[in-house]
Amino acid sequence: MGGIGNVSADGAMIEVEGLAKRFGDGDDAVEAVRGVDFSVGEGEIFGLLGANGAGKSTTVLMLATLLAPTSGSARVAGFDLDGEGAGIRRSVGAALQETGLDPIQTGGDLLELHARLYGFDRQAALARRDELLGLVGLEDAAERRIGTYSGGMRRRLDLAAALVNRPRVLFLDEPTTGLDPASRRAIWDEVGQLRDEGVTVLLTTQYLEEADQLADRVAIMSDGRIVATGTPDELKSGLGADVIQVEFGDEGTAARAAAVIGGEARALGDAVRVPAADGPAELVRVVGSLKEAGIEAESVSLARPTLDDVFLGIVEREGDR
Amino acid sequence: MNTAVQARPTVGVPFPVQVALLTRRFVRNLLRQPAVLLPNLGISVFFLLVYYGSFGDSPAVVELTGGNYLNFVLPVTVLFASISGGAAGLTLVEDLESGYFRRQLAMPLSRTAIVLSAMLLGALQVTVEAVLIIGVGLILGADPATGAPGLLAVLFFSLLWGLGFAGYSVATGLLTGNARAAQSATFIFFPLLFLAPVFLPFDQLAPWIQVIARVNPTTYMLEGMRSLMIDGWVAWPLAKAMIAGSLFAGVTLTWAARVAVRKTSRT
Repeated sequence: MGGIGNVSADGAMIEVEGLAKRFGDGDDAVEAVRGVDFSVGEGEIFGLLGANGAGKSTTVLMLATLLAPTSGSARVAGFDLDGEGAGIRRSVGAALQETGLDPIQTGGDLLELHARLYGFDRQAALARRDELLGLVGLEDAAERRIGTYSGGMRRRLDLAAALVNRPRVLFLDEPTTGLDPASRRAIWDEVGQLRDEGVTVLLTTQYLEEADQLADRVAIMSDGRIVATGTPDELKSGLGADVIQVEFGDEGTAARAAAVIGGEARALGDAVRVPAADGPAELVRVVGSLKEAGIEAESVSLARPTLDDVFLGIVEREGDR
Repeated sequence: MNTAVQARPTVGVPFPVQVALLTRRFVRNLLRQPAVLLPNLGISVFFLLVYYGSFGDSPAVVELTGGNYLNFVLPVTVLFASISGGAAGLTLVEDLESGYFRRQLAMPLSRTAIVLSAMLLGALQVTVEAVLIIGVGLILGADPATGAPGLLAVLFFSLLWGLGFAGYSVATGLLTGNARAAQSATFIFFPLLFLAPVFLPFDQLAPWIQVIARVNPTTYMLEGMRSLMIDGWVAWPLAKAMIAGSLFAGVTLTWAARVAVRKTSRT
């Protein structure tokens, strides 16, 4: 089989049709992914956004050839998931949710070994190692055992390992989950750099801010289905012009206030957010109903909707079905 | 710098190169923590000293075992070192636990190469320990009838046996996915070793042990290695050892490969 797959005429690097995964049989069966369709163009960063258990990681594992789909089809980098897995494995890089690193090797040895395993000769492998260590800022830790790395360093090395073969398609499964803000920012910068270089990225995340920041387009997944797709702006504007944010001192009060306000009001921590197509009029209604119920707010403001609002609104509507 | 667009290798790496590179990783890891070799080595040397100390001066035993008890008992302690082949399964369990196994599956690598490299590590570890034990045996006064080439043959048999044991440990390691369970599974080694002519020749064993020993491949490995130490180059015991060792390794490698395919199948 040749090294380059046949990418479709419209330039899609990932094409997914009716992809589904069921674990187990009979009454115990779990439908992790219930037939998803999407397409990712060359050089695009596509975000799969969803809560834990939405089916994001299962989707990525299937596309990375680590899990066989129950039904459906997909092409990745021009190779068919069914029968051309080797081509996919040569063309993609994957940084999965759980980093897959050998704690006894040093970071430098791991990258050099992987470069050799992808077919680089010795000199090229050493050069690729140094290049990647520079990209993820781990030059100083190259000679240290991976077991001594911090969580952020492991993530960065894992990302570097996913880039060894200069992949045309990169899968990033929750690349910043559990990281401190500085490490998250470092990963974001690196992903941004990859975008500039034309790598196609399928990114899963439960952080809406992350999808907003990185993704050109986002698909929101809930319960194994894609429930909305669009650019972050499209998704946000579909929700209405503004959001009223009412802050309370504690979560209990916020929950009570959400019930009093009714409609699409949602408690988020110690605040309540209310989508408001007609901002000022809705603001008057919200303040009035709180006053009537004798609930005191710390602050009230009008804001642009975030992807949180989109996401929670959609998930709630799905739940009501 | 351009990470994405530069030429990337487009052909897969040949299978033997994959095995060599993956085995190199295991060897490097072993060199980073050589202390893991010590417990088994210590026990093997301990047994050599204890067996020799206990029986080596008994004229009856010496007469029964061909004149130099050290020559008779050295193969036992060499086989004892093959428990180090269990390292193969343990390293794969560690890779399963760290997630590194899955990363390898996402790369364009042969699953057989991944498993085989772990087995080679096990076999290599066995050989290193066997060399050291034979060294101790020579210092104590072992005197192989076939000289240095015979010792090389003894090493070859220990490598074959170690490969078989490595296959067994890979299969149990992948089946259980659990280091403790994989370690416990190596206890099968003890009945396998001791239900054989370990301390005395076959015809001196109790009848019930003889029945078991006759179907135990360890018997033929021991007798083959002993013939090299005591009798010289005799074809039949060597052929039997070769057949027993190859069967043992063949059976466990097939089992390991099947478990590996099942364990790594994408369902």
